[in-house]
Parts: sequence; structure tokens; C-alpha cells
Amino acid sequence: MSGINITELDKVYDSGTEKVVAVEDLSIEINHGEFLVLVGPSGCGKSTTLRCLAGLEDVTTGSIQFGDEDVTDHRASERDVAMVFQNYALYPHMTVRSNIGFGLKLSTKLTGDEIEQQVEDVAEMLGISELLNEKPKALSGGQQQRVALGRAIVREPSVFLMDEPLSNLDAKLRSDMRTELQELQADLDVTTVYVTHDQTEAMAMGDRIAVMDGGVLQQVGPPEEVYRSPVNQFVADFIGSPSINLLSADVEGETLRGPGGFTYEIDDTEPVAGHDRVRVGIRPEDITVVDSGQNTADVTVVEPMGNENFLYMEMDGHELTARVDPAIRPAEETQVSFDFREAALYLFDAKTGDALKTKTDTVDPAVVGTTED
Amino acid sequence: MREQRRKDAVWRFLTYAFVITMVVVMMVPLYWMLVAATLPQEQFLQFPPRLLPGTAFLDNFAALQERLDFVRTIRNSVLIAVVYTLLSLVLCSMAGFAFAKYEFKFKEPIFYAILATLVLPIQLLVIPLFLLMAQLDWTNTFRAIILPWAANPIGIFLMRQNMKSIPDALLESARMDGATEFQIFYRIALPTMRSSLAALAIILFLFQWDLFLYPLVILETADMYTIPVGLAQLTGFQRIYYDQIMVAATLAIVPMVVLFLVLQKQFVSGILAGSLKE
Repeated sequence: MSGINITELDKVYDSGTEKVVAVEDLSIEINHGEFLVLVGPSGCGKSTTLRCLAGLEDVTTGSIQFGDEDVTDHRASERDVAMVFQNYALYPHMTVRSNIGFGLKLSTKLTGDEIEQQVEDVAEMLGISELLNEKPKALSGGQQQRVALGRAIVREPSVFLMDEPLSNLDAKLRSDMRTELQELQADLDVTTVYVTHDQTEAMAMGDRIAVMDGGVLQQVGPPEEVYRSPVNQFVADFIGSPSINLLSADVEGETLRGPGGFTYEIDDTEPVAGHDRVRVGIRPEDITVVDSGQNTADVTVVEPMGNENFLYMEMDGHELTARVDPAIRPAEETQVSFDFREAALYLFDAKTGDALKTKTDTVDPAVVGTTED
Repeated sequence: MREQRRKDAVWRFLTYAFVITMVVVMMVPLYWMLVAATLPQEQFLQFPPRLLPGTAFLDNFAALQERLDFVRTIRNSVLIAVVYTLLSLVLCSMAGFAFAKYEFKFKEPIFYAILATLVLPIQLLVIPLFLLMAQLDWTNTFRAIILPWAANPIGIFLMRQNMKSIPDALLESARMDGATEFQIFYRIALPTMRSSLAALAIILFLFQWDLFLYPLVILETADMYTIPVGLAQLTGFQRIYYDQIMVAATLAIVPMVVLFLVLQKQFVSGILAGSLKE
């Protein structure tokens, strides 16, 4: 059974005239059966990492182990991995049946009947039995997605790799497939590496998520940990929707002074000791609208979501987003006072972006516990 | 509004008039060939010319067959064109696939060198090729007609352009499924290129079918002649056998017409393939 061990992986594209570092010094240990999500903005190196795992790209330096076996120099077909591509990559001239059975036909010694049986089993599991004789062109996006999954599952690989497999589906189907994929992965108990740029997807699906930026791994951890205790401003900003509110503030003793008359008294000055200036972060859900307080902002847009309202506010040109109870619905163009608890406050080094303080408020420990097992 | 409609009508009339004129200009020689093939030589040369077909087609054909063994000539041409087309399809699609989907040293220079051979006219190549074939002792053989043109630069170019439109993910997916590089080419790339291959088949077949000067130089005995070379034998110093030439020319276009009708649909979409992003 196969976990994955990536050690000091570097991937440099050298076109002769210029060198592009796609992945730099990446080390991650992925446990057997774990669902790890690689997440980050475009060009952060997540897809390159996945392709290195798949054997579709050579690594420049470093090593990749599946279980106890070093597969760094193995070809894709020798790695016992299956990959689901963003555009599904179904063979257009083959029926669904041949698409799913193609890998078995090439890489195993099974007889035609045995392959047929396995293809039908997988098709039934995915609910596409009646589509087996169709060509991919005749299928909807969701059905194509299932065929692509079927093609990966049927080979019973030791590792699943998925490259943004849900990004071509519409929103409703995407969230359905999200759940289905998780259930499937748990049933099959196969180590899975999943790449996405969608942090919501990452949070929802991953046992752990690995945030990358500029080819460098920023943080790996269970979703809540990454959300609550980001190692730097980039991770805090990238994870969470709507994004965290960030503003620069001067440190004057126990007081933080920001733009638009923003002031906040902190009890614990230890995190800001030695800093004149910090970046202050507040999650939208931690902002509460109060009757009166020292901080005010102008409401520009209110988005009612039904179960909650998003308030978009402006404070001397700085945008703030608050996520509040649906009962709170101030008129646009009015001024409101807001507050937040110090325990919910994030502080980052103004120069390096490293975290000085993260959330210290409590959440239900049971929730965190389930992801750390 | 009415003004616009009248303009449209005039424009449409002019368009049709132009297209019809062009069709007539192109069809008249073809029609004349068909008519001439059915007339005895004397009627063909009379003035004013006869415009309706006669009944001498079979007589003309019999005379042609006697002079040239035209059935064998057609068989030679078909054999050469078919073997050439199949061989060249394999070479061009493999080369096109390599240029489109693999990275290797000097890829661009090699590709442009292949394209550059397009500027060399056949007339220029005939003598050197003849000398080469003579040294190999290949004169008066079919392989000397087929092999020098097998790697067709237009074919390589066409296949490269169209193979580029195959998504990389498709090939990578096959690679992960355990396919070898040749299996990827043969089982994934080629089947998705069916229409381009059909288009290329017609182009290659036509090229070899029409080839004249080179086979004229290489082929020495009448039993090896292709249709264009055979046709040339009908033009003597004393007499030109117009009736027989016209019969031969009429029969020579039949295989082309059949091939085109069979592959027509793929041909049109193949020519367009890769030019539009789907």
C-alpha cells in the first residue's frame, strides 16, 4: 500500500535562453489513503508537481517515492498511477467501453472477458452503464467526467492524481461531484493528490491541503489549521471566501493605527514587539456591526445570501468585507460602526508577510479533531 | 430597405454570373474531351466542330488498346499511385506527429529544411535522380518512381499542422494507460486524424497520378509505362492520335473521380481541420 514521499523536489524549465523555476525545494509526505489537495493561484507549480508525480515531467533534482519504492526515474506507465485530466482527455474515436478498458488492455494480461467484466463493474459503480456504447461526443460534461473517473478507477492504481477535474462543470454539478468524489476516494482507500485553484474545493475536499505560491510550498495542514493558523499573509489571503480583510497599521504601544482612522487596542503586545508597522488581518465573519464604536466604515454594497449578508464597506479607500447575520442589513451609502475580538485578529510582519499572531479563539474541538486523525 | 434589397439582388446575380462563367470555362475542355473520345479522328478534326457525342468510343478504345495495351498502363498507374499513397501516408503522418508532439534537437531547422525542398521544381531534380537511380541500377522499375517522393514535404507540413490540434492530455492519458509511443501514434493520434489522412491521400494520389517527366525519364519499356507516359507515346512525328488520346484521358480521370467521391466529405473537413479552434 502506497503513501507518497516527495523529497526536495526541484523542477526547472530550461529553454536554453532562460530558466524558469516551476517548483522549488518541495518536500511533502502523503499518507496512505490520504486525500491531499494542492492549491494555489495559476502558475504556482501545483500542476507541475502533479505532472512530476505522474511521470509526465522529469524532475530536475529531488526524489519521489511511492511506498518504499523510488519512482523518480520510472516512466508514467510503470508508476501504477491513474490521472484524471481537467478536460477529461477521453479518446474521441472510442466508445465509453473502450475508453475505460483501454488501460487494462494495454497494461494487464487480462482476457477480453475479464476486462469487459471490470469495465461493466466500474460503469455500474459510477452509474454510466447505459452509456457504455456511446462515443464521448454524445455525453454531457458530467457524464464525460464520470467516464474519465471510470478510466482511472478501473485500473485499481495505488495513487490517484486529479488535475482540476471539476473545473469544467457547472456550479451545481460541481458540488454534487465533489461529494461523490470524496465518498469514492474513501471507499477505494487510494492515496489521492488533487490539484485545484479553487480554495473552497480545497477546504471542502482535502484531508490536508498544501498551499503553493511561486513554486514554493507555503503550508501543509488540515483545512481548519491552514485557515486558522496560516504561516503567512499569502496563505491567509488565499484561503477563505470572501477573502480576509488586510490593512497596514502602525504600532503605537498597545494601539494599532490604520487608514481611515482605524484604531484598535490590543491587550497582548508580545506579537508586535519590535515592529513599528504590521499588517492586520480580520476574517469577514469575525467583523460584527455594532451600534457605536471607534471604527467606522461606509457601506458600499450589501449582498443578501439568504442565510447571511455580505457587507462591502470602504474605509478611506480600503475595502472591508463583513459576513453578518441576515437581520443586519444597513442601507447602502450609510456609515456603520464595527468591531471584532482580539482573539480573531491576525497580525503579519509588514515586510516579510510572516504570521506574528493568528486566531486564538476557540472552535468546537471535535471539528478539528476529525481532520487530524 | 427596398434599395438594400435591390442591391442584394444585383450582387447575387453578379455572383452567380461569375460562378457560372467559371464553371463553363472549366467544364468545356472536359466536355470536349468526352465528345472527342466518342468520335472518329476525321469528325473530330472537321470544321465546324461536332458538339454532340458520337458512337466510336469502343472503336477508339480498341485501337488504343492495340497500340499501347492501355489496360496494363492503367494497372501500372494504379499500382504505383496506391503503393505510393499508402507508403507516403505512413511516412508523412509519422513525421508530422514527431514534429507536432515531440521535442528534439534541431527540430525547427530540420522542419524548415524539409519545407525548403518545396521550392525545388521536379524538372530540376529529374537529372540527379536519374543518375542516382542508374547507379542503383533501379531504372525502369516502379520503386524508382515511388521511393524518391515518399517523404512528401506538403504531406509532412499538413500532418504536422493538424497533429498539433490533438490535445497533449490525450496523448499523456494514453501514456499513463501504459501505451508505448508507437501505440499512442497508431491507436490515438491516427484515428483522430482520419479526415486529414483522407485529404492527404487525395493530394498524394493526385501528385503521383499526374507525374510525367520523371517517369518518362526512368521508365524505358512500354510494359512499365504509366498513363501520362503512355499518353505521350500517342503523339508521333507524323500523326497525333487525338481520338485515342481523348479516350485515354477520359479513362485516366475515372480513378481520381472515384477516389474523390469516396473521400469527399473527409477531404473538405480535413482541409479545414486545425484552421478553426473548436
